[in-house]
Amino acid sequence: MGEKGKFLDKEYTRRQFLKLSGKSLAGLAISAALLDTMGVTARAVAEDKVRVWAFPQGLLVVNADRCVGCQRCEINCTLTNDGCCSSYISRVKVTRNLFSSRNGSGLYTEDNWNYFPDTCRQCEDPACGNACPMQAIYADEMGIRRVDTEKCIGCGACTNACPWHMPTVNPVTHKSSKCIMCGACAEGCPSGALSIVPWDRIVSAAQKV
Amino acid sequence: MSVKNGINGWAGTIVRVNLTTGAITKEDTLPKYKPYIGGMGIGYKVIWDEVPLNTDPLGPEAKCVFGVGPLTASGVPCSGRMNVTLLSCWSKGYSIVDGHMGGHIAHAFKYAGYDAMIIEGQSDKPVYIRIEDEKVTIEDASHLWGKGTYEANAILAKENGPEFDVASIGPAGENLVPMSNIITSFGNSAGAGIGALLGSKKVKGMAVRGTGAVKIAQPMKVRLLSNYMIKDLVGGNNNHTVPCHAQSWSEYVATNNRWQGAPGITWDKASRGPIDMGEQPSGVINVAALRCNKGVFDFGEIAEKYTVKQGGCASCPVRCYTQYDMDPLAEYDLPTHVSNTCMPIIKMLEWYPNHKDAEGNSVPSTHDFVDPKDAKMILGGAGSRAADDYGVWCNYGNLYEDFNMAYSTGVLKDVADRLYPGEWDEIPWDLMESGDPRWVVECYRRISLGKGLFSDLGLGTFRLYEKWGMDDPEKNVAGVSFYDFVNAKNFNIGHNGYPRHHGPENCWQAGTLYSMMYNRDCMIHHLINFCSSGAPYNEITKPVLEHFFGEGCTDAQKKYTPINENKIKLAKWAFIGKQWHDSATLCNWMYPMTIATSKKRNYVGDLDLDAKYMTAVTGEEYTREDQERDSERISQLLRAITAISFKLNLDSSNLRKDHDRVSDWVFDKEPDFKPFEEGTVKLDREDWEKSLDMWYEAMGWNKETGIPTRATLEKFDLKECADKLEELGLI
Repeated sequence: MGEKGKFLDKEYTRRQFLKLSGKSLAGLAISAALLDTMGVTARAVAEDKVRVWAFPQGLLVVNADRCVGCQRCEINCTLTNDGCCSSYISRVKVTRNLFSSRNGSGLYTEDNWNYFPDTCRQCEDPACGNACPMQAIYADEMGIRRVDTEKCIGCGACTNACPWHMPTVNPVTHKSSKCIMCGACAEGCPSGALSIVPWDRIVSAAQKV
Repeated sequence: MSVKNGINGWAGTIVRVNLTTGAITKEDTLPKYKPYIGGMGIGYKVIWDEVPLNTDPLGPEAKCVFGVGPLTASGVPCSGRMNVTLLSCWSKGYSIVDGHMGGHIAHAFKYAGYDAMIIEGQSDKPVYIRIEDEKVTIEDASHLWGKGTYEANAILAKENGPEFDVASIGPAGENLVPMSNIITSFGNSAGAGIGALLGSKKVKGMAVRGTGAVKIAQPMKVRLLSNYMIKDLVGGNNNHTVPCHAQSWSEYVATNNRWQGAPGITWDKASRGPIDMGEQPSGVINVAALRCNKGVFDFGEIAEKYTVKQGGCASCPVRCYTQYDMDPLAEYDLPTHVSNTCMPIIKMLEWYPNHKDAEGNSVPSTHDFVDPKDAKMILGGAGSRAADDYGVWCNYGNLYEDFNMAYSTGVLKDVADRLYPGEWDEIPWDLMESGDPRWVVECYRRISLGKGLFSDLGLGTFRLYEKWGMDDPEKNVAGVSFYDFVNAKNFNIGHNGYPRHHGPENCWQAGTLYSMMYNRDCMIHHLINFCSSGAPYNEITKPVLEHFFGEGCTDAQKKYTPINENKIKLAKWAFIGKQWHDSATLCNWMYPMTIATSKKRNYVGDLDLDAKYMTAVTGEEYTREDQERDSERISQLLRAITAISFKLNLDSSNLRKDHDRVSDWVFDKEPDFKPFEEGTVKLDREDWEKSLDMWYEAMGWNKETGIPTRATLEKFDLKECADKLEELGLI
C-alpha cells in the first residue's frame, strides 16, 4: 500500500492485500479514491479501527463505526453454513461485543455505542490449526483454512488457542466450525460495516492516485 | 434447543417459573399452543386457561407470559420482538393487555430454547431469573433492588458475562406504579404495567444466554426471501418506501417521512469522523440500514450533530433507535448517551408547558441550548433516558399529555391543594420554568415513587381521571370531561384510559375501529405505514390498496368518505394482522409489506410474504388464509376475554356501550367543517354507528353488545369461551 501506484492488475492487488490481511493499516498511505471505495475514513485507518481481509471475491473491509448491531451477519452466516439460525456458532461474531464485551464496550457499558463484528483473521500461522490434536484444520487450494469434520473431535483446542476465540464447537454436532470466507455475512450486512469490495473496484481505485 | 428437538421454527419448550415454590418446570409448546402461533397467542391462551379474569392483577395469583414465536430469531428480518401478556392493573375493565419489547433479548431467549416463559406466584425477596440454555434458575437480586434500569442491567450483564442479554424493571415497577415497564438493550421496553406486575412478584429482571439454534426447514429460502424483502420491499422505519430527500434513482420524493437518509445526511459523532449516508437505492442490501435516520425525522437536521450510529433490534435492517451523544446534557450532570424512538423521546416538551410570569403572562418554559430549536431534542434525550431508568411507561404519550392538560387547565394545582396539601411548594417548579433538563428527570423520579401528586399520573389515565375527577365536568375546576373535550393534547380514543395509536387523525373509520379493540393503545401500523409512506396517493397508494382490498377501501388524508364494505375489510385485515405479528413475532412497525420500494414491481408490496416465511421456516405449507385464520382465533379470544373481564369487574354486559365508546372530540373537533368535507379528519356519529354495525358483523359479533356469538367462537375452536360467556349471560 505504501507503494501506491503499483497496483497493476487484479491478482497483484489481491497479493498485496493478502500480506496486509488482518494487520494494521495505520501509517500506510492510502489514496482518497481507495478510502472512498473501501467506505472508510482516513482517521479510522490512522486510529487502527479498520481491518481488511483478502477474500477470493474481493477485499473484506470491517468498519466498526458503521456496525448497527443488527446481528444479520451471524444470521446469514448460520443460515448459509449450518442450516439453522444461531449466534453462538456463527463464524462472525457480533453478539459477544454487543452487550458487555470483554474489552469493556457494548450497550450495557459506559462505552455504549462501541460494538462491532469480529471476523476470522485467516492467520498465516494459524493458532487454531496448530493447536488441533487431530490436524483437522487444513488450508484448501485458495489458502482458506477449513475444518475437516471427519477428523474433528470437538475438543475445543482451536477455540482456546485462537487469540480471538473465533472457531466454535457446535454444541449439537460437537464439531468445530470456522470462517470459510463464504461472504454471506458481508453480502447481508445492511449498514456496510462488513463489506466485500470487488477486486476490480480496488484495482480501479488504486490506480486513481 | 430446537435443533436438538428436531422442530422447525418453534423452540418447542415453554418454561414455567413459580416464585412461591421456586419450582422450574417445562412443557412442550406445540401440542397445546400451535393453533395460537406463539408470543401473544400463547400468552392469551395461558391467561385464559389459568388465570380467572377477576384476579387481582398484582396479586400472587396473577401471571405473566413472555413469549416469542416461530419466526422469532429465524433469520427473518424484523423478527426480534418479545411479547408479554398480563392482566391490566390500570385500564378500564382490568382485562388482558400486552407489552412488546425489541432489542436483542427475544433472540437470546429463543436460542436458549424457549417459546415462552410463564411467571407465576410471588417471591418474598428480590430475585432475577437467569436462563442459560436448559439451566433456568431464580437468583438473588437484593443488590439490584432500588436501582435504575441502566445500573441494574449493567450489573446483571457484568455478573453473568458478555454473552448474556438482560432486562430489568425500575423503581416504578418496584413501587407498583401501573405506568411501568421492563427495559432491555438501550431504551427498548415492554410496557402496559409489566413493571408493576414483576415488582409485585419481586422480580427485578432477567439474564438470558442461548448457545442453541433455531432449526429452519429451508434455510437458503429464508435467506433469499430476506434478501428479496430488503432489496425490493422494505423502506425506512414504518416501512416508508419513498426517500424524503431526492436521490438520483428514485422516481418520487416524500414530503416528510421516516426515510431521512440521503447524501449529506451524516452520523456526525461517529467515533472516527462523520459518516455520510449516501444514496440507498431500492435493490441494494448494504445500505438499507442507512435509510431511516430516525433522529433527523424526530428533531430535524440538528440531530445529525449528536448522532453516533443507529441502533435497533436483532435481525432488523431498519434502524429506528438513533444512538446519540448529547454533550449539552453533561452541563447538568446528566448522562449524554441516549437512545430511543418515537413517543418516549419526541414529546418531552409536554413536561414543559407555558407558565405564568410575575405579571401573569403566559411565557414559554423552554429555551435553546446550543443551536436554534434544539430544546426538543436535548430535553427529549434527558427525558427518554430518565423514563427508561426509572422504568416508567408513557401509555403512548398519555402520561405527559395528562400532566400537560392538568397543569394548563389548573386541575393539577387544584388537586394538589385538595389531596396533597403542602406538596406543591416542595416541587422544584423553577426547573420547569427555566427549561432545565433536570425537570423532566424529576418528573419521572416523582412518578416512580408510588406516592404523592406525580405518582397519581402513574396510575394511568383511567384511574387518574377517576381519582382527580377529570372524567366528569362537575368534578374538576376545568369543568370538562378530559376524555371528550376538544383539545390538541387530548388523544383519548375512548373512555378506557388509553389513546389512539394512529386512529381517526390519519386512518379514518378503520383506524378508529381497531384503536377500540384492545385494553391499551392498539399499536397497529398496517394503515399509517402506507398512509405516510411518501408514495403519491393517486398514482401508487390508492391503486395498490385497491388491488388488494377493492374499490374505496382507502381514503386520502383529510378527504374521508363514508364507511363501506371494503374499508371494513381493510380494517379487519389490520386488526387480526396485529395479532399475527405479536404472535409470530414480527415487528408491526415494519410489516406488512404493503407498498414496495421497487419501481419494477410498480411499488406493489407482498402481503403473502409473512406466510412464505412461515412455510420456509417451518417446512409446513402455510398460506395467508392460514395466517388469518390463526390470527383471528387469537383476536376472538381477546374479545371474549375482554367481555368476561368487563362482566366480572364492571358488571357490564355490553362492550359496544361500555368498551367501544369513542370520545366526543373525534366527532366535535374542527367545528367549521362537516364530516367528509375535504380538509377535516373529524368523523360523523351516524356513520360511526353504521361502521360499528358493519364491523361487528364482519367479526361475527352481536351487533347490540359487540360480543362474539357462539357460532363465531366455535368456528375458531373456542367453545370454552362461548360456554363461559353463556354462563355469565353474555350470549
